[in-house]
Amino acid sequence: MSEWEPKIVSFLCNWCSYGAADLAGVSRMQYAPNIRVVRIPCTGRMSPKFALAALREGADAVWVSG
Amino acid sequence: MVTFKINGQTVQGEEGQYIKQVADKYGVDIPTLCHHKALEPAGMCRICTVELFDGRRSRFVTACNYPIWDGMEVQTDSESVHEGRKLIVELLLARCPEVPLLQELAAKYGIDKPRFKAEDDTCILCGLCVRMCEKMGNSAIALTGRGVEMKVDTPFHLQTDVCLACGACASVCPTGHITLEKIREEITRKGNVQLIPSEYDMGLKGRKPVYVPYAQAVPNTPAIDRDVCVHFKTGGCKVCVEFCGVDAIDHTMEDEVVELEVGSIILAPGFQPFDPSKFDAYNYANHPNVITSMEMERLLSASGPTGGHLVRLSDHKEPKKVAWFQCVGSRDLNRCDNSYCSSVCCMYAIKEAVIAKEHAGDDLDCAIFYMDMRTHGKDFERFYNNAQDKGVRFLRSRVHTIDPVKDSDEVSVRYVDDAGNLQQEQFDMIVLSIGLETSPEVVEMAKRLDIELTPGNFCKTDTFEPVATSKPGIYVCGAFQGPKDIPQSVVDASAAASAAGEILAGARNTATRKPEVVPQTNVIGERPRVGVFVCRCGINIAGVVDVPSVAEYAATLPYVEFAADNLYSCSQDTQDNMSQIIKQKKLNRVVVAACTPKTHEPLFQETLLKAGLNKYLFEMANIRNHDSWVHKNNPELATKKAKDLVRMAVTKVALAQPLEETELQVNPTALVIGGGIAGMTAARSLAQQGYETHIVERGEQLGGQAHNLYKTISGDLVADKLGALIGDVSSHPKIQVHLNTQLSAVDGFVGNFKSTLSNNGNQQEIEHGVAVVATGGAALQTDEYGCGQDPRIMTSLELDKMMMADDPALARAKSAVFIQCVGSREPQRPYCSRVCCTHSIDNALELKKRNPEMNVYILYRDIRTYGEREYIYKEAREKGVIFIRYNLAQKPEVALVDGKVQITVTDHVLGIPLQIDADLLTLATAVIPNKDDALANFFKVPLNDDGFFVEKHAKLGPSEFATDGVFLCGLAHYPKPIDEAIVQGRAAASRAVTLLARETVHTSGQVAQVDPMMCSSCGVCVSICPYSAPSFIDADARMHAGKAQVNPVLCKGCGLCVASCRSGAIHLKGFDNNQIFAQISAVNWD
Amino acid sequence: MMKNLLEFMGVEPDRIHFSWISSAESTKFVEVVNKITAKVKAIGPNQRFVKQAAKVA
Repeated sequence: MSEWEPKIVSFLCNWCSYGAADLAGVSRMQYAPNIRVVRIPCTGRMSPKFALAALREGADAVWVSG
Repeated sequence: MVTFKINGQTVQGEEGQYIKQVADKYGVDIPTLCHHKALEPAGMCRICTVELFDGRRSRFVTACNYPIWDGMEVQTDSESVHEGRKLIVELLLARCPEVPLLQELAAKYGIDKPRFKAEDDTCILCGLCVRMCEKMGNSAIALTGRGVEMKVDTPFHLQTDVCLACGACASVCPTGHITLEKIREEITRKGNVQLIPSEYDMGLKGRKPVYVPYAQAVPNTPAIDRDVCVHFKTGGCKVCVEFCGVDAIDHTMEDEVVELEVGSIILAPGFQPFDPSKFDAYNYANHPNVITSMEMERLLSASGPTGGHLVRLSDHKEPKKVAWFQCVGSRDLNRCDNSYCSSVCCMYAIKEAVIAKEHAGDDLDCAIFYMDMRTHGKDFERFYNNAQDKGVRFLRSRVHTIDPVKDSDEVSVRYVDDAGNLQQEQFDMIVLSIGLETSPEVVEMAKRLDIELTPGNFCKTDTFEPVATSKPGIYVCGAFQGPKDIPQSVVDASAAASAAGEILAGARNTATRKPEVVPQTNVIGERPRVGVFVCRCGINIAGVVDVPSVAEYAATLPYVEFAADNLYSCSQDTQDNMSQIIKQKKLNRVVVAACTPKTHEPLFQETLLKAGLNKYLFEMANIRNHDSWVHKNNPELATKKAKDLVRMAVTKVALAQPLEETELQVNPTALVIGGGIAGMTAARSLAQQGYETHIVERGEQLGGQAHNLYKTISGDLVADKLGALIGDVSSHPKIQVHLNTQLSAVDGFVGNFKSTLSNNGNQQEIEHGVAVVATGGAALQTDEYGCGQDPRIMTSLELDKMMMADDPALARAKSAVFIQCVGSREPQRPYCSRVCCTHSIDNALELKKRNPEMNVYILYRDIRTYGEREYIYKEAREKGVIFIRYNLAQKPEVALVDGKVQITVTDHVLGIPLQIDADLLTLATAVIPNKDDALANFFKVPLNDDGFFVEKHAKLGPSEFATDGVFLCGLAHYPKPIDEAIVQGRAAASRAVTLLARETVHTSGQVAQVDPMMCSSCGVCVSICPYSAPSFIDADARMHAGKAQVNPVLCKGCGLCVASCRSGAIHLKGFDNNQIFAQISAVNWD
Repeated sequence: MMKNLLEFMGVEPDRIHFSWISSAESTKFVEVVNKITAKVKAIGPNQRFVKQAAKVA
């Protein structure tokens, strides 16, 4: 790989941030291609275990957004 | 079919195609400056030159216009091709050294400085503009002159009438040689060379003739604006047709007249914002920094022309001082004809000021110039108070003129402050808070329909029938009924629907068509067989992401049996095809890699159902909104990301299980709690639409607070109309009235409630599907201002009683005083009671009518006669009612001196105390809710700090609760006059009917489920759930006594209980731990 | 709390981020993505706490 690109596992609330991500697409905004989105029904679903699992599986960072 | 080779690769093209077309199809890049997909190629720029080997020798041809033939061999990137292109770029750069595009190309081909003599042209004579103009059906410009004299020009270099100023030439010019300024100054004689103003952005931005009005428009398909589309002017163009991948554009379509037979009509034509350009003194038409509030909305919006960055329009610099002018086009008979109040402007101006401060920082100075601050809506007064705390300045003054400041972009205003001193201030921007008015087209429509209008051109309605027009069967809602805000419009809309529903109840479900149900295949226990469909979405995805390689990659993933790509996965034929493939390949899990599940999941789930698969055996990978659209400049990483997303979806879907949606019967019975005007209206509407209704009233008669009211502002006696309504309700065969009754217990959930009614110790249980809360309110009892110490001092309702009884004291009185805001808008009750200003003014007018000689005073803080109620405020002033303003720090004082009721108030103009002796002192006391904690607890619905119930959504769900099946209306929601209580009563019934009419409710499959073997009965889930879905199984139950269970009907699938369950006993179906872990783990397999 | 735990385990705090974005705030979404990406790039690849098997493979 030419340059190291981090992978950021992102847990996005279906109703909030996931919608914002969709809208960012519709508006053709450009951003860094490093996030990988896991859609969750609500940030209430988020468990610390998920964050730990992601880091353990080799993700470079975790982002939780409601 | 023609077969030949490009760079050694065998390719195929159609007879008559050119090399470049085939190369594009196979993804081979050939640079060009003069090629456009919609135009015939011309071979002008020569950059697309490639090397052609015809079997005997090599030669150079232009790829854009050289036709293909069998057996030819093309090299697009050989050393000699490269050399040739380099020379062409060098020559072009010498001609046009300042063109950025050529500078970039030069850098790419390693040209430092051209060896040839530099000129200062910007045109490369590619002729695209000329060909485009011809395509437009016009030919206003051409390549003129010969040799070195050649240039793009109009005939004889004269400005021409032929040019339509459509701008097509500028849009295709690769170098930026042609600009709109150039078209305006050198080419066209037509004056209107400008962008097409975007309606959505209030003209602050341009739009195309083919456009989607705004991102959230429904339907979200582009429309062609025939008024500006060149095709409809010249018959040419049709460029859009060449670009549409699915042949959806048909310019020959014509407007159709469709005739419908309907039983009722609802008018919701809305309003038009007032146009302030006719106010010369405000300079709106001339000064860029005087804008309307609608333009301000767009400037503050994240999707607006500046992305939410607040700038003044003259120079796009951030403003330091912004002022709002209220009542522009409202409450004004001098400069326009709108004497009504537009109701919404005070609140939106405060909102804009607060948001402007949020966007631009606290240093931004925001000043609002107003006459009366009218924040009479729910929670609006709190917002007003907060805005003052945040430093928004409120200046009570109507400014006459806005003066431009010489040699500056600022404007200057002069106003008189509260103390009566003349002030002068400069602002960077003035926002005109424009009012609402009915458009001339709507007035015209009203004439055609033969319905009556009010003096303000709104639809005329009656207090007791606020959504019915003067013509039976035609109903009205929204701002055409009267200027109003979103919540009130939403309430209106539901009410109009129920009014129409009542007369059409018999026709319900007579025109329904039911879809065919395909039996579901049982896939439990089968090994997953995943099908992956990768969507190209035309070029939306495929233009960035390498779709075929994603599909190929998907085929290599575990359990994937089938993978392919589609041009448009959502098109009808692709859907049918997918359904076939699912059946043929016996797929039992499906992944669609396309756009967002938020819009398209239901569509694809439908396809699964048609193929006999459970709809939860499905997953989407969002490779458009989250990938191709946002990583346009990075195709490589975007493709990688698409593969990651597909892999995550595949691993998740492999673990998906078919989920069941339970169907529950809805008991077609309603319970209305509260027998006031709102409750009775709701009950009557429900019964009229055919549903059994129980109405529970704790008092001994129906009617509630309306019994205390004398008349409506239109002059009708309340008692008459109320009597008719009570008669309707009492005699309706479908309504059971329970007087002297209260609710003592509620059990169950949406569709299946069981409530216990208690009447003098007698218990009765009734079953019902929905409940309407209409528990009402009351007038505040107070001892302030000597209330209770003298018969001459009374509350507003007591004055109404005196009027009803025709009390002789009224005739004897020589002076009457009203004190407003008694107990409202004070720290312990920071809300406006909404009804008191109108009520007091109406009573003041009644006193004046009975005795024109009487001196009538109204002591107020802000007069809030919103909407067309403003007329009576005007009338009261004309009839000599004296209005004296006081402020909270200096409230009036009341004393009983020598048998007189003496009121002292400091006049705001004179600044000195005034003494008035009153024979009647009326206190406009606050409206307080009948706070009912027990009821709130029964239905698990919240109360706010003031004791009013909290609706589902302040704007969009004002007449219902977050708890399914429970609805809200009347004073229990917020203080409101009779007409609004009636509208909301209807609205609550309307919302309830949407549920009752369905007859059954479906639970979602994606709900939480408790494994009772793991449950430790700790109760965290029961207390944490916002929807009260988990509960304990009865202690004496046969199975799993005392363990938690989740009611799938109430569960919204948020997963809060799942994450908080310390025993790991709760699973969220469709988003289970193993599925999320699988997704997490799949992120990093590479 | 979560951040403290991770720090205790030797994971840099910048590896976990929380934010609240409404569905209309696409601009904020983009800002947050770019901010987080920049922060993570600054601290480099995650090496601690990664499953051993993953390293071997």
